[in-house]
Amino acid sequence: MNSFDRSLDKIDIMKLLIFLMVFIIITFMFVFLLIIPNVKEHRVLQAEYKRVLVHKTRVENLFLEREAELSKLKAENVHIIGAFKHPFTQEEFLRYAGKFFNQVSLMEVTKSDYKKEFVEYELNVTSTLKTPSNFYNFLEGLNRYSSIVQADFPINLESNKESISSTFKIKVYDLNATTR
Amino acid sequence: MRLSFIAPRPKPFLSLFSKMWVVFIGLMSLFMIIFNFYIVIEMSSFKHGVVDLTKEREMLEVKIDEDDEAIGLILRQKAISEEIFSNNTLLKESMKNLFDLVPDQITLKKVQMERNSLILYGISPTQDTFNFLLAAPLKSIFHTSNTTFYLTKEGWYNFVSINKIIGEDGIRE
Repeated sequence: MNSFDRSLDKIDIMKLLIFLMVFIIITFMFVFLLIIPNVKEHRVLQAEYKRVLVHKTRVENLFLEREAELSKLKAENVHIIGAFKHPFTQEEFLRYAGKFFNQVSLMEVTKSDYKKEFVEYELNVTSTLKTPSNFYNFLEGLNRYSSIVQADFPINLESNKESISSTFKIKVYDLNATTR
Repeated sequence: MRLSFIAPRPKPFLSLFSKMWVVFIGLMSLFMIIFNFYIVIEMSSFKHGVVDLTKEREMLEVKIDEDDEAIGLILRQKAISEEIFSNNTLLKESMKNLFDLVPDQITLKKVQMERNSLILYGISPTQDTFNFLLAAPLKSIFHTSNTTFYLTKEGWYNFVSINKIIGEDGIRE
């Protein structure tokens, strides 16, 4: 340091006051023109951010709830969902029915929309069987079949010499093209 | 002519005292600017955060709608399939009941089952056998029950029994 500078030894009061004034003025200018308005805006934005965050968290919780519900339903109804998705084919059905009946033939009757997102096919089944219990077993197994099939009236059974011939209607339910 | 023993030195433009003040004021200003900068950065991060969260929320809302749709579809599928399965089971049970109902003496030739009616064709040794063993239970199930008999060459009776349920329920005993 310059040993000839005696400004610290003999402090000029006027200079000190002027510097102090300058200091205070600059500080106040910063505070009032810059910091306070920005802090105000900051607070508003922070409140807004928190509000949005809370809203989003609520929606997220709702979403997680729905996901859990959906996966639970999916797990509980695996067979049903798969069966509705599974496309019905006559060959597959004939193979299934062949386990219970001797001769089976299918004839498609109608196809129509059913309750918004489903399609209902009606088919006539003609078959011969040995004992009525084959028919019971067929109906029982129908609930576990890979498509959703309902056996329906009219059911005609006629006994011949050795076997029983039957004709009945089945209704097959599939998802329609838009839902699939 | 020299009047001083020491060489003249240039007087600094700012004295040490002034320099200290200038540095002090400068540091304070720097601090204020840094603080302000920090606030501005945080504000912009809040703004971005709000935009991001809103987008995320909207996406979640769309997903919730999709999930609701999927849940609805599964519930409808479940309702339909349960109805179908119970119909199949009921059909099986009613057929079983029908065949259990028929006593050994009576032979059925033909059965026509409709939703609200049942027509039986068969052979019975006597009219009474039919009336006691089959007609009575049929009458308890169906609202109307009419039977016509035809005598065969062997002395047995061919019968046609027409049974009807009046109403919507169908044969679901």
